[in-house]
Amino acid sequence: MKQRSIQLLLITGILLLLLSWVHLFVLQQEQGANSTLIFWEFQVPRLLSALLAGAGLSLSGLLMQNLFQNPMAGPYVLGINSGASLFISILILGAAPVFLNELSYVSAAMIGAFLAASFMFVVSKRVQNIQSLLVIGLMFASFTGAIEAVLQSFAAPEQVKQLFIWNMGSLQQMSAAQAPWMATLIVFGMATTLFLVKGLNAMVLGDAHALQLGVKVKQLKIAILFVTALLAGSITAYCGPIAFVGLAIPNLARALLKTQDHLLLILFSVLAGSCFLVAIDVLILLLDPWLSLPVNVLTAVIGAPYVAYLMLRQR
Amino acid sequence: MITIQHAQVGYQTTLIDIAQLALPEGQLYALIGRNGSGKSTLLQSLIGQLPLRAGSISIGSFSLEELQKNAALRSTQVAYVASMFAGVEALTLRAYVSLGRVPHLGAFGRLQASDLEIVDEVLKALNLSDLAQKDTRKLSDGERQLASLARAIVQDTPLMVLDEPASFLDYFNRELLLDQLEQWVQQKPERTAVFSSHDIDLCLQKGIPMLVLHQHKLTLLDKPSKQEVMALL
Repeated sequence: MKQRSIQLLLITGILLLLLSWVHLFVLQQEQGANSTLIFWEFQVPRLLSALLAGAGLSLSGLLMQNLFQNPMAGPYVLGINSGASLFISILILGAAPVFLNELSYVSAAMIGAFLAASFMFVVSKRVQNIQSLLVIGLMFASFTGAIEAVLQSFAAPEQVKQLFIWNMGSLQQMSAAQAPWMATLIVFGMATTLFLVKGLNAMVLGDAHALQLGVKVKQLKIAILFVTALLAGSITAYCGPIAFVGLAIPNLARALLKTQDHLLLILFSVLAGSCFLVAIDVLILLLDPWLSLPVNVLTAVIGAPYVAYLMLRQR
Repeated sequence: MITIQHAQVGYQTTLIDIAQLALPEGQLYALIGRNGSGKSTLLQSLIGQLPLRAGSISIGSFSLEELQKNAALRSTQVAYVASMFAGVEALTLRAYVSLGRVPHLGAFGRLQASDLEIVDEVLKALNLSDLAQKDTRKLSDGERQLASLARAIVQDTPLMVLDEPASFLDYFNRELLLDQLEQWVQQKPERTAVFSSHDIDLCLQKGIPMLVLHQHKLTLLDKPSKQEVMALL
């Protein structure tokens, strides 16, 4: 059992290296130029943002599924991205240009993500089933969308355009200067998660049971909310809202590894999430001569049917 | 030793009123009472999940309040087997039983070889070895109930509390359960186990001391006859 998991982790790791190489290669072919400057300023940041966003979103999905004790939870379906998105809109449209910097973007997104996650968590205590929770997540997303629309009607065309592009989700917007920041945030989030493994493992039995096993359930839940906000918030700030990765990949991890050992699930989700987004970006690059697709279109084309399949199988 | 003094147990109203009771260790106790008499409620208080309305309970050298405040400490003192475990997808029986070792693990929650040895030994004693790799969702209710017992055994605490641990078990496994519990309490001198049951005949036959809940009172009967028990119920 354990051996199988380790084999799967190795295979996924090798696949990731391979995909990353293909990504760099395809991008270089497309650029046509072979310069070190373009490599470091353009190719590496784009690969990095795919790697980091895939890893971080999958991990935040895994954490949320543990927190909500439901395999259908994820940062996108429960409106965590929407919270981040709303706060970024407020920032772009409302704040003086002086305040529009790296730090303010990321903090706004993280605060928005944290508030949205906390709100959904409180709501989840009051609803009986996941269907209701998903509908509330949907309502929450359309509500924040409406507020954004109202805000936009007051905004200058330039700002609206900026928001529109950001909302499409993209792996190309991160600059070489931003890459270390995003990497630091995501790696910090991942490292923190490793300290939560013991509690996460016990939490699959439910709150009362985990408490009986000595887990400080309340502290653990707050830690999960913080890490989720950190991961989903910072990714949303740098790449825009990206759908389905956070929901689909952890489910794939459990289905393939057949385990609830969260150390293995974390490692696999991180690797597989990275693989998935890098592969998606390779696809985008290959299709680019004919049509230019935003990330969200492709993640939805693959992710949405898979999630629908999971829902059907649950019955 | 479990000592209960002037304890009032219940949610909104006092359901059970215990003036004074001491349970010496090294024993297995059967909690008997009619439906709705408050067996589960009493057990919830005994594990520190439901605060007492008044009075005090001490378990070994700790008061119940101390244990309530400190989940980590409690997990080394009290193990609890709920009446129902529905199973978790992708969680194997062996992985589930291993979670009983959580209170003994380091910060990263890794199981050591010694932990797995304990787990496998208990699985063998409960005839669960062949099911070790099976998904807990795919086990029968009875198999899951035995798995919960195994999980509590490997937790290795002075007190084990079980809420109707035999409700899904067949005749043979009921015997196995009681034998295992008796063995468990005798393995270490400080151990005590309390389980609720409707299986009066089997408990009488095994000579297990009974805690009888009747009219909001709790009475300890050491080696009762059937008439004595029935008279109280």
